[in-house]
Amino acid sequence: MDMNGEKVINAPQALVWQALNDPDMLRASIPGCQELERTGENGFEATVKAKVGPVSAKFAGVVELLDINAPESYRISGEGKGGVAGFASGHADVKLIPDGDTTTLVYTVNAKVGGKLAQIGSRLIDSAAKKMANQFFTKFSENLEGYTPETSSKAAD
Amino acid sequence: MNDMLVGKPLKRKEDQRLLTGKGRYVDDIRRPGETYAVFVRSPIAHGIIKSIDKEAALAAPGVLGVFTGKDIQRDEWGSIPCGWVVTDRQGEPHKAVPHYALTPDRARYVGDHLAVVVAETYEQARDGAELVEIEFEELEPVVTLAMAMEGEQIHDLAPQNLCYDWELGSRAEIDAIFETAHHVTSLDLVNNRLVPNAMEPRAAIAEYDSGLDSYTLWSTSQNPHMLRWMLSGSVTGIPETKIRVIAPDVGGGFGMKIYCYPEETTCLWLSKVIDRPVRWTGDRSESFLADTHARDHLTTVDLAMDKDGTFLGMKIDTTANMGAYLSNYATSIPTYFYATLFAGCYKTPVIYSNVRAVFTNTSPVDAYRGAGRPEAAYLIERVVDVAAREMGMDPIDIRRRNFIKPEDFPYQTPVILTYDIGDYDASLDEALRMIDYDGFPARREEAKARGKLRGIGLACYIEACGVAPSQLIGKMGAGAGLWESGQIRFNATGTAFVLTGTHGHGQGHETTFGQIVADMFGIPIEDVELIHGDTSQVPMGMGTYGSRSLAVGGSAIVRAGEKVIEKGRKIAAHMLEASVIDIEFEQGLFSVTGTNKSVTIKEVAERAYVPLDYPEGLEPGLDETAFYDPGNFTYPAGTHICEVEIDPRTGVLEIVDWVAVDDFGTVINPMIVEGQIHGGLAQGIGQAIMENGVYDPESGQLITGSFMDYCMPRADDLPSFRVGYTCTPCTHNPLGAKGAGEAGCIAAPPTLINAIVNALDIRHIDMPATGEKLWRIARDKIAAQ
Amino acid sequence: MPTVSMAVNGKDVSGEVEGRTLLVEFIRKNLRLTGTHVGCDTSQCGACVVHVNGRSVKSCTMLAVEAEGATVTTLEGLVKDGKMHPMQEAFRDQHGLQCGFCTPGMVMSTIDLLRVNPDPSEAEIRDWLEGNICRCTGYHNIVKAVQQVASGDAA
Ligand code: FES
Ligand code: FES
Repeated sequence: MDMNGEKVINAPQALVWQALNDPDMLRASIPGCQELERTGENGFEATVKAKVGPVSAKFAGVVELLDINAPESYRISGEGKGGVAGFASGHADVKLIPDGDTTTLVYTVNAKVGGKLAQIGSRLIDSAAKKMANQFFTKFSENLEGYTPETSSKAAD
Repeated sequence: MNDMLVGKPLKRKEDQRLLTGKGRYVDDIRRPGETYAVFVRSPIAHGIIKSIDKEAALAAPGVLGVFTGKDIQRDEWGSIPCGWVVTDRQGEPHKAVPHYALTPDRARYVGDHLAVVVAETYEQARDGAELVEIEFEELEPVVTLAMAMEGEQIHDLAPQNLCYDWELGSRAEIDAIFETAHHVTSLDLVNNRLVPNAMEPRAAIAEYDSGLDSYTLWSTSQNPHMLRWMLSGSVTGIPETKIRVIAPDVGGGFGMKIYCYPEETTCLWLSKVIDRPVRWTGDRSESFLADTHARDHLTTVDLAMDKDGTFLGMKIDTTANMGAYLSNYATSIPTYFYATLFAGCYKTPVIYSNVRAVFTNTSPVDAYRGAGRPEAAYLIERVVDVAAREMGMDPIDIRRRNFIKPEDFPYQTPVILTYDIGDYDASLDEALRMIDYDGFPARREEAKARGKLRGIGLACYIEACGVAPSQLIGKMGAGAGLWESGQIRFNATGTAFVLTGTHGHGQGHETTFGQIVADMFGIPIEDVELIHGDTSQVPMGMGTYGSRSLAVGGSAIVRAGEKVIEKGRKIAAHMLEASVIDIEFEQGLFSVTGTNKSVTIKEVAERAYVPLDYPEGLEPGLDETAFYDPGNFTYPAGTHICEVEIDPRTGVLEIVDWVAVDDFGTVINPMIVEGQIHGGLAQGIGQAIMENGVYDPESGQLITGSFMDYCMPRADDLPSFRVGYTCTPCTHNPLGAKGAGEAGCIAAPPTLINAIVNALDIRHIDMPATGEKLWRIARDKIAAQ
Repeated sequence: MPTVSMAVNGKDVSGEVEGRTLLVEFIRKNLRLTGTHVGCDTSQCGACVVHVNGRSVKSCTMLAVEAEGATVTTLEGLVKDGKMHPMQEAFRDQHGLQCGFCTPGMVMSTIDLLRVNPDPSEAEIRDWLEGNICRCTGYHNIVKAVQQVASGDAA
């Protein structure tokens, strides 16, 4: 499944970039994210609870940041297993285009699902993924209000 | 003396138990000490297994063991066989790729069997299965037929994923005909992938008796002996005497339950390893993933005609999907059960076909109700309809012009088969009468006034049933003969057991075979009890598929009955103090010719077991077995006509009338036969307008994997049907019966698609012709006006 | 594990179940009433229909503990004094079953149809059966069976 979009965010590029590299920010913004811990310079472990149609499951997996080109773009790539519910994997290419005090975030997502999730929920995956992406960016923008990198523990530079 | 029962719509003997909840399906059976198996299935379509971590699962509560393909291989359990060798154009056998119960090396489709967890309870086994961690090196999946030959190679043995490239007929000869033909009609067709979906999911219980060193397997099988044979002869080497297979009540099969599957094979193996009974019951999600699927062809057909619409030659090019492994008969379906039917009801003199069978990362594909013959009938009856359109001919006239006529029988087709008998005009005439063909234009006008597009379509199908004459199929590559056994065992009180190697799973064998035997011996049907589905009780038999139970199995029973009568005459001669040649038998009475001295079959049966005064040489007992090998296939044929109405604003299709006129030869129980037609029609209509098995072309995930996405025909999708008969009795079996199980499913797809294209006035539409497709076409047409 | 009690086919029963145990599992496994079938895992097929407090319910959509105190009737419970219910008779008369796997759900469901609509049209019967899948009969004879009972004629 492929999906793309863009979102104008009310914050300068540098701040958005920092937030995008901040596990606390990501945890607070990813819908259903229960845990997100840094395990290496650009790696995280995450647990996300998701529901697609009749299938709901907790996905445990790894998230990696690749092709980092600070403060402009990276690829965030992840893979999660949800037991009998199946698996989900994919990546998003994220690009930040500065525009004065605001930033346009452009993303393209490529995601794959398997197991029960695909078997029973496939017809709902697209809409579920779109909903999740929307929720993420809305939450992310909200959380950016009053965000200062200092509030975060170890934002990447 | 009772009235003759054959030909009467007797109510079914089996219904009392099935209607009161007393049926016994595999999942209803409990065994003491039983354990539960749950399979760990591949979530990906294609990948090399790097590691399987069993530790967490083994530590889970109740888990008794976790096993993988390597474990089974260590015990030298072999590959599940494909029993039909198709020889390709180069004279080479098809690529017989291995198919292990648990795949030891690679996952080849979503649902492939990677490991099995056995536990004390089902819940524990399922929880355990969740804990098995498998790592893959993922490979590019090969999903669609179009990409199969270019994609990643799935089996080492099969370069380009090609199982075989097979042909029938002469390419040079057909090319010559096409060069000089007046007109050629060419059509590209998709025969959509189907998921059989018998309502009872597959299930198995295996039990090992260490004292006897023998196994019992309860399985949802259509042919327990064949299953035992494959397990013994091909997979394990365990003697057949040590494996007992029981197929109790089975909740529908439709071909999908013919095969030896990985799950039951694994359970059999586990029963000894665990040394306790092991049960597995599939859930519907597993059925979708790992039952055999069906059809799935891409075809181009070309029909050459002279200026009058006389068929000169037909050329067929098909790519057929085998799925990820070869199921037991997969190779034969798109060849010998398909291309041998391309003559249809017509005198097409030259036919050439080329079929390429390919592997893909999808569930294995094999027979499903009709098996090859629906695909053949669909392409013939579609191309003939398009030809009529292109030639400006009436679709009825073009068919009649080319029909094989009653005086032409026996008719040698150019595609191996010889039809013994038929009358295609007769069933066409009757169908036209029943539907009031001449009144159609008025009905169309009336519908138009209501804003509906009304269409009419017909198909004149033929099928080859009563599978199968062993010598003939042997020449085609079959690894076994398809004869059948029948046994009639009279008891001392005059009741009779009938034993058959066929298996009923909805067809009403207890009733139909009961009617035959009751008539033969003049005894009440209540005194006849059918035994089937147990390899320890029934003589070796070949099972139920290919509309063979009555034509082949029923014939075997008749032959056994004849032997019983022969034996009975000897006993009667002794009882009546006459000589055997003077004893005649009729309606349950043995009598001395020209006298009124007689004894009943009941008296003879009693004396058979109380031989206190037998003369020397007369053997006690009244119990005879016959094996019947048919001399030819049977050839049911007929005409179906339907009328549809399409609402151009919504695409909603309504089937407003359906007339089925079939020639099944002799009909034993018309009520049961009608039920077979209805059920077949529902499945054929499902294929034509609703059902479609779809894998995501990129990931190979089955995206029509539940009843929410795979569109099964429901009551409100279907009409009531009108059924009529013509009859030309089969010439070569003692019943004159041809078989009725598959006809509806074969006739329905072309009938319905022909009606839809007629309603929309278009050349072609691919199956399934869903409401959305119809709506788009109607919308574009309205826009173009 | 919680204990659940209910009246099934006129008998009071109780048993220990897990929280996740479905009513259909309780009926089939604990009570050994195997006349009720399971044909799917997405509540689509209707093979599992039983009556709970007089209404048809897909017993795979209900937890056993939800049926606490309920009155449940299964296919087995329709037989009174050795005589089948008229709907069972009608299915036999009209050949409304072949393999018999969908049959328990079909019978229980159509009895409930006639409770709420004693004289349904063919379209109403077909509409009601939307939630019951049969792969064998093409529904033609199931519809006829319901019509037989509704009209009060025996075949
Ligand atoms: S088992 Fe309940 S609806 Fe299918
Ligand atoms: S009778 Fe077999 S599913 Fe309905």
